[in-house]
Amino acid sequence: MMHETTDKKWFDDLILELRLRQVHGSAIGDTVASAQELLADTGQPAEEAFGPARAYAAALELPTAPQHEWVRRALWPALLGLLAFLVFNQAVVSAVRSEQMLVSPLQLALVATPVVLIALLPLYLAAAIRRIWVLITLSAICALAGLLSGVAAPTTQAEAWLTIDPLPWLIVSALTMVVLSIMNTIRSSRPNNDDIPDPRSATTHSSGTGTKIIVLITNWLFPILALAMLGLAFSFR
Amino acid sequence: MDVSTSASETAGGTQWPSDWLRATLGFLALRALSAGPSYGYAIISELERNGFGTIKGGTLYPLLTRYQAAGMVTTEWKAGDGGPGRKYFALTDYGRAELTRLSADWLRFTNLSTHYLGPEAHTKESST
Repeated sequence: MMHETTDKKWFDDLILELRLRQVHGSAIGDTVASAQELLADTGQPAEEAFGPARAYAAALELPTAPQHEWVRRALWPALLGLLAFLVFNQAVVSAVRSEQMLVSPLQLALVATPVVLIALLPLYLAAAIRRIWVLITLSAICALAGLLSGVAAPTTQAEAWLTIDPLPWLIVSALTMVVLSIMNTIRSSRPNNDDIPDPRSATTHSSGTGTKIIVLITNWLFPILALAMLGLAFSFR
Repeated sequence: MDVSTSASETAGGTQWPSDWLRATLGFLALRALSAGPSYGYAIISELERNGFGTIKGGTLYPLLTRYQAAGMVTTEWKAGDGGPGRKYFALTDYGRAELTRLSADWLRFTNLSTHYLGPEAHTKESST
């Protein structure tokens, strides 16, 4: 039982390490299946037969996709969605109250903090995934910056650096979030050619209903949160 | 610095110095495939049976993956007898040519080493 648990963890680590190296799904499936084949033959634990998952993933030297591909496919849309959500949050209270949106430099810097952190993700993604405390610290910084941006919002026009009509910003940011969510939903509903297939059975590790629901919620996360913010803004008007 | 590279006897047979195996495992694995396509465990067993000790999957598979990328080996998944499929490795013509070349080179190298290590070489050296 212990053997199976540690092997499962080893294979999870192996898949993660190969994914971090941008190895194609079919090559990952092949690697996993051939490792499982040998373990079934020898009865050894995975760590004993192949060494640490990270070292084994490195030793295989499998062909990798260029890094800019995932940056273009995943990072930029996520960044745009986050930016739209942050703009929506800044504009929603003023729009509901039919007031002008007042902006200060500090507030702008705080709003930009999560955007910059996400934009720099390719530089530290592997470290953040391997070390949970890095991920927690980054999430905490983003959340804190979001909260402080609310506190730093000017209350009078005299304190404001910029005075903006919030309605166009609200509409454009809401539309951006919805369009991105529709695009992501269409993309995730298509058969993914980077899934991890099992070469022994010519099937792919299919996603269960739970995973599909999580993917759907993730795709619509920003519009859902934006709706919640709109509801809060109306209730505190 | 420990530079000891002597072979030791273990329950599984002779354990050769890892440096020696690192240098030779490549063409030994190609040799194991020369009789026809084979899979991971069969290659390991073949090398063990011939006295090279137990080669780990973590050593063998990266080697075969590199040979596959270099065009010396091809792979194919074949259905097993009642069990899950197996990944078979097979030599390409290029792999076979490389095996012949490396085997010949190794033979020349070992002959040279044996000759140098032999007592005749030392007798000749001391007389000059």
